[in-house]
Amino acid sequence: MSQTRTIVIECLRFHPETDEAPYYQSYEVPFTEEMSVLEGLQYIKDHLDGTLTFRWSCRMAICGSCGCMVNDEPVLSCQTFLRDYHPARIRVEPLAHFPILRDLAIDQTDFLAKLESVHPYLIPSTGDDPGDQPRHQTPDQVQDYLGYAQCINCLLCYAACPQYGLNDAFTGPAALALLHRYNADSRDAGKDQRMEVINAEEGVWGCTLVGECSEVCPKHVDPARAINQNKIASTQDYFLRFLKPRGRR
Amino acid sequence: MNQPRTYTRGMQRWWLRRPSYRFYLLREGTSVVIALYGLFLLAGMAALAVGPGAFETWRGLLFSPLSWLLHLVVLAAFTFHAWTWFKVLPLTVPPVKTRRFPRGFTDATLNRVALWAWGVVSLVILVAAMRGLQ
Repeated sequence: MSQTRTIVIECLRFHPETDEAPYYQSYEVPFTEEMSVLEGLQYIKDHLDGTLTFRWSCRMAICGSCGCMVNDEPVLSCQTFLRDYHPARIRVEPLAHFPILRDLAIDQTDFLAKLESVHPYLIPSTGDDPGDQPRHQTPDQVQDYLGYAQCINCLLCYAACPQYGLNDAFTGPAALALLHRYNADSRDAGKDQRMEVINAEEGVWGCTLVGECSEVCPKHVDPARAINQNKIASTQDYFLRFLKPRGRR
Repeated sequence: MNQPRTYTRGMQRWWLRRPSYRFYLLREGTSVVIALYGLFLLAGMAALAVGPGAFETWRGLLFSPLSWLLHLVVLAAFTFHAWTWFKVLPLTVPPVKTRRFPRGFTDATLNRVALWAWGVVSLVILVAAMRGLQ
């Protein structure tokens, strides 16, 4: 059995019923080699302070619920380990740039609206119904979107993006990466419906390629690449529409 | 249902939060230096249009010690900006294009090829300009 040590976890606390503004509260947490930050938070909730609120579900970096800031770095708390910070204390805060609902739980409403705005589903062309047959794709066609399909909506990329923090009208990394995921799919014919989102000032042009979204993504989705490839698509669309016949713009 | 009261933290001194944010600001900041130097060159062309006297005055500015120092700073800013520009270049190249390259042609390869091409073209321009001056 591994040795137990103690680490100080400093949590940002905020209860809307009682607190005007957030404040920090420190807890001394005994931990073993294999304990994650999430397990540290669970220890606090079970043994030290039952009022601490945080989201979690799968504990294996699949559900995307447990994202938080650890020492200013957006991470999934389930795959961040206390041993890597000991003997220093760690500071755990809710994801940056989002409104805080309660303690470490943030309000995702804005993201969910943006996710909906990019039509994140396959839109087949009219008359394209394979019946009970499967749709075929070559391995190359799958590779076009597979990387972008790994997004778990954990919102670490939004917490890493200063452009979203400065102006939350920006559609943001995950939503635009998912937009690209469907545009890049050979079974999809919905590009035109998504073009308006891409072309908007708050679309791909809201990105200035800070690039941190791709750095922090736990699933290596690379939203920065998705967004910047669509800047080319948006530029092409801008110039090509002058060549299209009237009424088709 | 009533919306719960939320608390949004501000973006005060956001660039202090991560070293990469400061690197980003430095990258974008160097483009201001490039724009200002572009204006300086434009002033030289305007002086040329005005007449030989004006152009000689503008040219005279180039040889002051301060000008040497500023040119070194501008050269550093240009080099840094170009280096970072080529670093992010692979992100903007559609995969459709890169797939035609052999396997193992990664972002790093593309970055290296672009840097070399930039170096060679810069050298050719520099040699041509030096010859023109003689």
